[in-house]
Amino acid sequence: MEPLIKVENLWHIYPVGNVTALRDVSLNINRGELIGVIGQNGSGKTTLVKHFVGLLKPTRGKVYIDGEDTAPLKVQQLAAKVGYVYQNPNHQLFARTVKAELEFGPTNLGLPEDEVAERVEQAIEFFGLEDLRDLHPYRIGFPLRKLVGMASIYTMKPDIFILDEPTTGQDNITTRKVYHLIEKLRDEGATVLCVAHDMILLAEVVERMLVLRDSELIMDGTPRQVFSNHEVMASTHITPPQITILSLRLRKDQQTLDDVVLSVDEMIELTKQSNTGKK
Amino acid sequence: MQGIVIPITMVPGNSTIHRMNPLPKLLWTLGILALSFSTRNIAVLGVACLIGLLLVFYSGITKAYVRVAMILFPISLTLITLQSIAPAFPRPWTAIVGFGPFTIYQEGIYSGISLLLRIMAMTTWAMVTIMTSHPSDIFTSLKKIGMPYVLNFIFVMTLQLIPILQSEFGIVLNAQKSRAMKGSGFGAILPSMVPVFVGAIERVQQLSISLESRAFGSSGKKTSFRQVRMAFSDYVALFLGFLVPGAATYWVIVDKSLDWSHSMVFSPAFSITLVLGATIGFLVFVFFAIRAALSA
Amino acid sequence: MSDKKPIIEFRGVTFWYGGANDKPAIKNINLKIHEGEYVALLGLNGAGKTTLQLCINGVIPNSIMGEFEGEVIVYGNDTYDTPVREMAKFVGMVFDNPEFQLSQMSVAEEIALGMESLGFSYDEMTKTITEVLEIVGLRGLEDRSPFGLSGGQQQRLSIASALAMRPKILVMDEPTSNVDPIGKEEIFAVAEQLNREKNMTVIMAEHEVEVMAAYADIVVVMHEGEILLNGTPEEVFSNVDLIHKLGLRMPQVTEYAHRLNQLNLASIEKPYPVTLDSAVERFKDIL
Repeated sequence: MEPLIKVENLWHIYPVGNVTALRDVSLNINRGELIGVIGQNGSGKTTLVKHFVGLLKPTRGKVYIDGEDTAPLKVQQLAAKVGYVYQNPNHQLFARTVKAELEFGPTNLGLPEDEVAERVEQAIEFFGLEDLRDLHPYRIGFPLRKLVGMASIYTMKPDIFILDEPTTGQDNITTRKVYHLIEKLRDEGATVLCVAHDMILLAEVVERMLVLRDSELIMDGTPRQVFSNHEVMASTHITPPQITILSLRLRKDQQTLDDVVLSVDEMIELTKQSNTGKK
Repeated sequence: MQGIVIPITMVPGNSTIHRMNPLPKLLWTLGILALSFSTRNIAVLGVACLIGLLLVFYSGITKAYVRVAMILFPISLTLITLQSIAPAFPRPWTAIVGFGPFTIYQEGIYSGISLLLRIMAMTTWAMVTIMTSHPSDIFTSLKKIGMPYVLNFIFVMTLQLIPILQSEFGIVLNAQKSRAMKGSGFGAILPSMVPVFVGAIERVQQLSISLESRAFGSSGKKTSFRQVRMAFSDYVALFLGFLVPGAATYWVIVDKSLDWSHSMVFSPAFSITLVLGATIGFLVFVFFAIRAALSA
Repeated sequence: MSDKKPIIEFRGVTFWYGGANDKPAIKNINLKIHEGEYVALLGLNGAGKTTLQLCINGVIPNSIMGEFEGEVIVYGNDTYDTPVREMAKFVGMVFDNPEFQLSQMSVAEEIALGMESLGFSYDEMTKTITEVLEIVGLRGLEDRSPFGLSGGQQQRLSIASALAMRPKILVMDEPTSNVDPIGKEEIFAVAEQLNREKNMTVIMAEHEVEVMAAYADIVVVMHEGEILLNGTPEEVFSNVDLIHKLGLRMPQVTEYAHRLNQLNLASIEKPYPVTLDSAVERFKDIL
């Protein structure tokens, strides 16, 4: 099967100061994958995903979305396929009502009015925004405003969602809601990339992680592989979830990949197994 | 968008002019401003312009100056085109040559050249001052001679805000483009401007709380961290800044023989070449500007 | 600690922002904080953490209008009739958006801004700038533009600007929510160092419970404007059911201890472990 996103030997060099932001990155992403992109600020992760939206063009190498070379495509042409949800919803929201905000994208795509209206209703239901429909986006609190930002991309029905730090600055309740929405998006068939520092999101929600450091893709693997790789963790200053470290420290001697625990639930399971083993 | 904006800020250096206190520089610039507005004499304005250019060269800011002048000069060329056919000068006008509905006037050419020189003289001197002084030093000096503290803060903040809002605008524009917004036209104004303004308001509100929490706005004696020294040479320059442009201004106002508007006679060939040259220069500039805007 | 006199005392404090808000942002807050304590404020967005923090230096009620009841006493000053700029000598504030706190052309000038307002001499200013930059680890960046720094550096600059007024209390409102992991580490390290080495009282609102459980002496849990829990991390995080009910997270190791008990997999006595090290010690034989 043709991968949905195909990156071949991608280099990006910013003309200002001649800064190399991406160095020879190659990867494939298949339809329906749920991926975390991690790395420090300046590691190149934002530069990478901006190529998928068409906001940046390769200096060298190729990026294909659904088999199509992105180099000649405009952002607006890619918008129907790739949706980019900004970290700060205030960078996207401008309309007088939530409903108008949600209509903006699909209207720009030139969809007929009834189709737009239908999509808006679907988005309102999907994100649970029923009570906010006629409110001004700036009058609602930050957590919900962030959901409106996501919903305003959802109405464009892209195949690929790129979520930039979907949970930063959010409390636990909203964070859990966002995890659930991300899973629901994937269940509807979307491919989701989360650029994130939120370790719980990465450990418990995503299935594959891309780790960038100093403009290079240094690791592409499952959260279990990434979080148990000490060298990668230390050099990228990433701290795995506390429960993962606990499991690693309690089982220093016999570590197989299955012993790497990603959530409290898994830790409980592991304890149960070890209890039966002892008996 | 960002590609077209050329910042007019300090060019680091260590020339005598860089090391000078900003106050005499500001005074000289003001003096040249006064002089330029007091005369239309091409020679006087030309000399002011020339000295300004020498200072540009001397202080090592030529490159930065040329970048600004490349925009300013072609735009100013329109003065020659417009003035030559419709002089801002008391009638009667002396016609030099006519073509079609247009007539080029003697007074127009004179007025066009002198306005062009006036603008170039003033901007050249102003750029020498701005490009050789740290903005903080300029503000500190102004504070010293009695500009209110808060007004000073507003100036500094505004200067800071311009590049910030510019980059915010870039982010917002990209955000909306990825929602399939067409990058230009009337429909793009609200979606790309509203978030920038809302962000700016939020920034200012948050900043004001933050500043107040740091005792900003206290009454009582204020001090200044940035120290701007006034050396002996600065006092001399300050004194000369009063004297020289002041005397020159007095001279150009009093000496009626400096009115060359009728004594200078332009030949038809010269006039046509000048006007055509200025017009073409401006159009070429417009052509490149539009191309740059479209590619950005 | 209870015999010492508190340096911050909230006595029955209620505040309404007014306008469209039908409920007060905080209600009937009674809270005592002692010198040198590291206090973590936990709660959902909208629980009243920011409002409570803004009361400490008197921005509420002096600059932000609303209906204010009760008293806040900080080092003997009633914030109600002490100007905020006076309070700056006791309380330094750091907010969540690093960039929105900066305004000057250079790092040094940013730090000097408050001192200029208070009429510090030039020598005092240069000395203080060096000193506070040393504390936050930004020496050498004096002439850089604040807007060219990374988020973590900007937050440390905000801390330095607050420290320049020589406050005794540092109030931080989700200081790490907009910075990357390295930045987070740096900010937490500076706060911890100030608390430990300079006996600075730190009051930090944060969502990172694992970090707070490790650093804080006192954890205060807020919900809908009220303080529901107030105690050591061990005491507070032992109230597992209440914390779950409020929709808050607790340290994963604490959650694990609680689940072990619930499922009868092991019998873990309260207080539950709240830090990684204590958990490793308690659970060393469990697997």
